[in-house]
Amino acid sequence: MDLISALESLEPELEKGLDQASSLDELEQLRIEFLGRKGRLAQIMSQLPELPQAERPAFGQKANVVKERANGRFEKRRDELLAAREAAALARFDASMPGRKPNMGSLHPDTLIMEEICGIFRQLGFDIAQGPEVEIDHYNFEALNMPPEHPARDMQDTLYITDTILMRTHTSPVQVRTMLARRPPLAVVVPGKVYRRDSDLTHTPMFHQVEGLMVGHSITMAHLRGILTAFVRGVFGPATEVRFRQSFFPFTEPSAEVDISCFLCGGSGHLGHETCRVCKGTGWVEILGCGMVDPAVFEAVNYPREVSGFAFGLGVERIAMLKYGIGDLRLFFENDLRFLTQFGA
Amino acid sequence: MLLSLSWLREFTPYEGTAQALGDRLTMLGLELEELRHPFAALEAITTGHVVNCSRHPDSDHLHCCQVDVGGEALLDIVCGAPNVAAGQKVAVATVGSRLPDGTVIKKSKLRGQPSHGMICSERELGLSDDHSGIMVLPENTPVGRRLVDELELDTEVLDLSITPNRADCLSVLGLARETAMAFHLPLTIPERSLDCVEDSAALPIAIQDPELCWLYAGRVISGVTVAPSPAKIRYRLMAVGVRAISNLVDVTNYILMECGQPLHAFDLEKLAGRRIVVRPAAEGENFVTLDGQNRLLNSRDLCICDGEKAVALAGVMGGLESEITETTTSVFLESAVFQPASIRKTSRRLGLSSEASFRFERGIDQERSVWALDRACAMMAQLAQGKVHKTLSVNQAKAFVPATIAFSPKQADALLGLSLGSDFALEVLQGVGCQVQTGIEPWQVTQPSWRPDLTRAADLVEEVGRVYGLDNIPPALPAMEFSLERAGEAPSDFVFWQKIRHWAAGLGLNEAINYSFVGHKDLDLLQLPQEDRISIMNPLTAEQNVLRTVLAPGLLQALRNNLAQGAQSVRLFELAHVFHASQQSETGARETGILGFVLHGLRNEDVWPYTPETMDYSDLRGFLEHLLATLHLPPARFVACAKHPYLLPAIDIFLGDEPLGCLGRLVPAIANEYLAHEGVWLAEVNLDLLKKASEKAAVHFVGLASFPPVRRDITVIGGRELSVGSIVEHIRSMKLPYLEDLAFVCEYEPEGSEERHLSFRLTFRHPSRTLKDGEVDKERNKVAQSLINALPVRI
Repeated sequence: MDLISALESLEPELEKGLDQASSLDELEQLRIEFLGRKGRLAQIMSQLPELPQAERPAFGQKANVVKERANGRFEKRRDELLAAREAAALARFDASMPGRKPNMGSLHPDTLIMEEICGIFRQLGFDIAQGPEVEIDHYNFEALNMPPEHPARDMQDTLYITDTILMRTHTSPVQVRTMLARRPPLAVVVPGKVYRRDSDLTHTPMFHQVEGLMVGHSITMAHLRGILTAFVRGVFGPATEVRFRQSFFPFTEPSAEVDISCFLCGGSGHLGHETCRVCKGTGWVEILGCGMVDPAVFEAVNYPREVSGFAFGLGVERIAMLKYGIGDLRLFFENDLRFLTQFGA
Repeated sequence: MLLSLSWLREFTPYEGTAQALGDRLTMLGLELEELRHPFAALEAITTGHVVNCSRHPDSDHLHCCQVDVGGEALLDIVCGAPNVAAGQKVAVATVGSRLPDGTVIKKSKLRGQPSHGMICSERELGLSDDHSGIMVLPENTPVGRRLVDELELDTEVLDLSITPNRADCLSVLGLARETAMAFHLPLTIPERSLDCVEDSAALPIAIQDPELCWLYAGRVISGVTVAPSPAKIRYRLMAVGVRAISNLVDVTNYILMECGQPLHAFDLEKLAGRRIVVRPAAEGENFVTLDGQNRLLNSRDLCICDGEKAVALAGVMGGLESEITETTTSVFLESAVFQPASIRKTSRRLGLSSEASFRFERGIDQERSVWALDRACAMMAQLAQGKVHKTLSVNQAKAFVPATIAFSPKQADALLGLSLGSDFALEVLQGVGCQVQTGIEPWQVTQPSWRPDLTRAADLVEEVGRVYGLDNIPPALPAMEFSLERAGEAPSDFVFWQKIRHWAAGLGLNEAINYSFVGHKDLDLLQLPQEDRISIMNPLTAEQNVLRTVLAPGLLQALRNNLAQGAQSVRLFELAHVFHASQQSETGARETGILGFVLHGLRNEDVWPYTPETMDYSDLRGFLEHLLATLHLPPARFVACAKHPYLLPAIDIFLGDEPLGCLGRLVPAIANEYLAHEGVWLAEVNLDLLKKASEKAAVHFVGLASFPPVRRDITVIGGRELSVGSIVEHIRSMKLPYLEDLAFVCEYEPEGSEERHLSFRLTFRHPSRTLKDGEVDKERNKVAQSLINALPVRI
């Protein structure tokens, strides 16, 4: 067989091979067989020197045409196979398969609430202040207008380390420490752990408070109400109303308990025909205690008589229970992952 | 404080409902906790008239009665009481009504005779323990009326929470004052006239320390007959939670509830020497209180003594020996005022709180002490047929001096943020009982004797706000004043901790919060030192008797809780303080912020696409390395150590030369205690150091190299003791100029071999040209040769 016919016979064979090739691997094998460095085309081409000089250009041209056409056919076939493989893959693709989900982290609900509260007060211009959890009696009680044997000490059952050192019963000693360290004007919020000698269904011996203190010139109770209104609207929504009820704390005067309009029933006391479970039908939910700083406290920190200020304190777990609808306080410190993972990060 | 609405109405003509009163008092600072109906169970009981009463034909103790309860027909009722008789007015439970013990009255037959109701005894009505016979009502009682109305029972009782400052509101009188003021009503104290019929010399009263006993007064009442009090007194006391005992004791309780003055009745015959001495107890003195308990006293307890011995623990409880008994015929009735702090000290030390001590601790209206005494005497004369002696025994060691307060109405407006004006302030102050001298500026305001809480201008501001209603203050936002002094200060711990918390939650860890206290035995289990622990003096339980010195016990407790619930994977973290005893601290405690981790169980949930793999050292160390990189801190050094007896292996972490914390695997024996058998990985890192270091860490931009990196792998073979760290350290120490990165790639240990094959990847890059293969190979070979020379390895 002369070289030309050998060349020409390649094409139908290639055609047949391409039709039979059903995968990209087979196609590659076929390409190597025909067009590889030692493939059949190359073998035919290697006989070129045996041709007479005059026939070589025509043969060369012919060979190039065959090669180009073959390349074109291979490409076409490869595109077909690629498309088929893509189509097969798509047919197998199951969009309903679950994702490769990283482990879900979570923050404790107390953390989330403290962060939210502190965030709102920072926006209102308050700094964050902190202080020790083991505290001396003077800062926890005496400087807050609770001398020894003051009956108000009964309001806070105390865990003692010694006769004069105790686990702080509230975050209020940080008020005293802050005022001793800084001159007015000042506005701080104090998040932290506090301790009481109390443990039952509605009390844990450790819980969290956020305390607020603002001292300046001509600070009034109307300002206290304004700041707290802004705060509760931040946490419970813009329609939330605030109610002040006269109360007593040794370190503020006047003192008030603050109720908010119930965020579940909107203050109506009922949902449909049911009594609202959050406010028990009263339309109000007790949320925190507050008041104007008692002059005895200013005196204890040597502040000038002209200043005035307000303070407030709230229980973080209480807010978390209200906001998330948690019914059992004890869950907060059992650290059951089924509890911890419900509130997000 | 339990306040009966009908009792209150004897003192002020309040016509509204109990709820409306409670709501108003709540806004005045006297919070209504609960509205009680102590006799709710008697609402269905009616009064009846026993028209006929005959012996039951088939019983020797039953009676067949016909009772008129105001209906059309007489009711047939079989009654077993021995005292039932025709003509009596009685309490009848008709068919369908329910008795306090839950019994529902049904139509029945008793030995053949029909019975359509029940004639009740006091015990059946829950009014007393008396079951000797049926309750017989006064002859003039109308029939067919509600028993609760006919007995004038106190059916509505307000449970008010009285704050410690409002001593005056621990009585009907005090709450009547508030009610009268709030509703603009008069105060109408019912008169009790005292007729003194006999006389004797006053008992001499000696008060050793006038600071401890300000007033001691008493009267003698002779010829008393001890008996139960009349029904009205007994039921009223019952309604406000006081147990009726006998006429004399009931009077003291009645006056205490009504006027707020605690009283004590002594059996005069048992007072040796007919004299009273008020003195501190001797150290170690024994005294039996009337509850029968022997009390060991000390010199800070105040005693009431007769000529020989202590007869009462002042203000707290009387003595057993001198108490009123059934045979008492003469009484010495005490009314006194003691220093509040002294009473509180004794009451707290002995764990003995009484209605009396509760009021003494908060303050007594000294100006009304003798008045209350006389009121009680009048009642005793009436109820126990006693003869009150004319001469009052009294020693006022320290008179009440009311505070005179300089006050300007402007102060109230300025603090409350209102413009109420002086007329309103004057009305309020006079309304709460102050005397006000207004002609001068500032006003001179005199404290009422019953308001120990009103001594300063701030207290008067509160009264003005309280009566106006704090809830009527409109909200306003203050202008915030800021100081430049604080600009540029480092953020607070809270903010730094917040960053760490979010970092950890972002990596799939779950935040735990544990109590700051644990049990000594928890720390002992971890073999932690004992000398720097801080113990709680009065712990609630032995599980909470010491402050934690490490976070591990709490985290392990949380691990146990979760394993008990079937968790397969626990990845907890906690940020909290640990506490160590320290002489340097004013609180005796050094508080250190710690970030703690516990990892146990599966790395990922055992579901697609994960395969079940257990978390190990690499997970925990990976978190720590990631944390340091997040905070722009250099890599830490992890050094095996033997300092933490509960960890094996135990690894100390150093940041530069500073010890940052530790990590390790809980020793299996301890892990067992927490339900985890192996593979509990713990770490604790000092947050204070971390914060300080991260504040100093500066971020410097490094220009981007534009020439390609060239990588070479190298596998080092050595004995089992060969460590990855030693190779990394050695290669780093060579300080090759173009070595950009060095990473441990994998470990391979051929089967049966005692050797480790450790592969590393070296990445080279030149800042200003492309490195040639040849020179990179030369560098790699240099590394290989150097390792062979320095370490017992081959390449």
